[in-house]
Amino acid sequence: MANIKDLKKKIKSTKGTLKITSAMKLVSAAKLAKAQQAITSSRPYANELETTIKTISALVENYTHEYLEEKNNNHEALLVISSNKGLCGGYNSSLAKEVRKYLAETDKDVKVYFIGKKVREIIQKEVNFGKNYLFEKADPTFLELEGVGKELAQLFESGEVGTVKVAYNQFNSAISFTPMVKQLLPVSLDVEEKQELEAKFPFDFKYEPEPSEILNTLIPETYSTTLYTCLLDGVAAEHGSRMAAMDNAVTNCKEAIRAQTLKMNKLRQAAITTELIEVVSGAESLNG
Amino acid sequence: MNYFTVDLLTPEKVVAKDIPAESLLIPTVRGQINILPHHTHLINRLSTGVLSIFGGADDPDRHFSVTYGICKVLEDKVIIMSHTSEEKSEISADRAEQALETAERRLNSGEALSDSEIEKFQRKAERARLRIQLSKQ
Repeated sequence: MANIKDLKKKIKSTKGTLKITSAMKLVSAAKLAKAQQAITSSRPYANELETTIKTISALVENYTHEYLEEKNNNHEALLVISSNKGLCGGYNSSLAKEVRKYLAETDKDVKVYFIGKKVREIIQKEVNFGKNYLFEKADPTFLELEGVGKELAQLFESGEVGTVKVAYNQFNSAISFTPMVKQLLPVSLDVEEKQELEAKFPFDFKYEPEPSEILNTLIPETYSTTLYTCLLDGVAAEHGSRMAAMDNAVTNCKEAIRAQTLKMNKLRQAAITTELIEVVSGAESLNG
Repeated sequence: MNYFTVDLLTPEKVVAKDIPAESLLIPTVRGQINILPHHTHLINRLSTGVLSIFGGADDPDRHFSVTYGICKVLEDKVIIMSHTSEEKSEISADRAEQALETAERRLNSGEALSDSEIEKFQRKAERARLRIQLSKQ
């Protein structure tokens, strides 16, 4: 049976935890706002680039690019984007679960590359480990990430792997994200969409230099932009998930403090009652 | 006067959106081109340089640096996609001059530099030159 002193200590330490979790919640909320801002400001570029590529490749006939060709190769590179820090709810574990599920289902020979250390720590031992990427700051910049992308594209170009995929948490809202595996290379162009675009642009553009040359530079560009968008999604999802986790922790702390205070007060009341009874019965016995 | 609008996008942010313009100078790989209203549909690759948007009588002229990317002219809309971009008001000519000087001094000092360092300083110098060029617009 806990005594009052123990309970007081416990309440004090829970209050400490409450302070930490509420501070972390506030920090995550601020970071989430920033990450969301980053997503909204990079989306127009990514979308515009994608439409442009689709339009050009729909209008230009007989164009092929290395990145568009399906290769008959059973090797695959999978880049897993996770966080460097924990305490963010199911963010890393659900991504790890998704990667495991994907690896169990695929019939390809997959080598796994990592950004962020948390998922790597969970699954490194059970997968074919490729490489771990580290950056100066916690979140890589566009240029740093482009370097990673180039390395993976190199594997694809040299024929070492037939596909490049990325596993990340897609950001839906502040409290929800979806772990998913997305194909980066070869870049797939939808046939239906192509026909739609051909109908939409009955005229052709004037190109300078040749359209094929423009596509040659644009296709690697979309590849890196897609990768960057995935990373931004991952970062936003991480902060959102941490904010939700810390919000739960704050609620739980408050509940625990309430329950413990109640228990402590009951004990205190019981002690006072016992003391009173002792005093009263002592006085009674003197009178009697 | 017939106006058209210009969007300037980079992977990291939307630098400018729907700027009204009556004339536009774009640095492309085949030299500078001038876009006026009712220009033909066009897709060009950019080269590093200064992009100037002339607003005509009602709107201010604006100058931006652009690097690697493409521009697309479609009806009355010009979309510029560049890896990086800065507006003239964001940069300081003095700092750019200083940066250029430091980078050139390191490159010409004769000290042993690794390949990556040489590349780094060359890029720094290039960026600084672009900013100086932009600040003179």
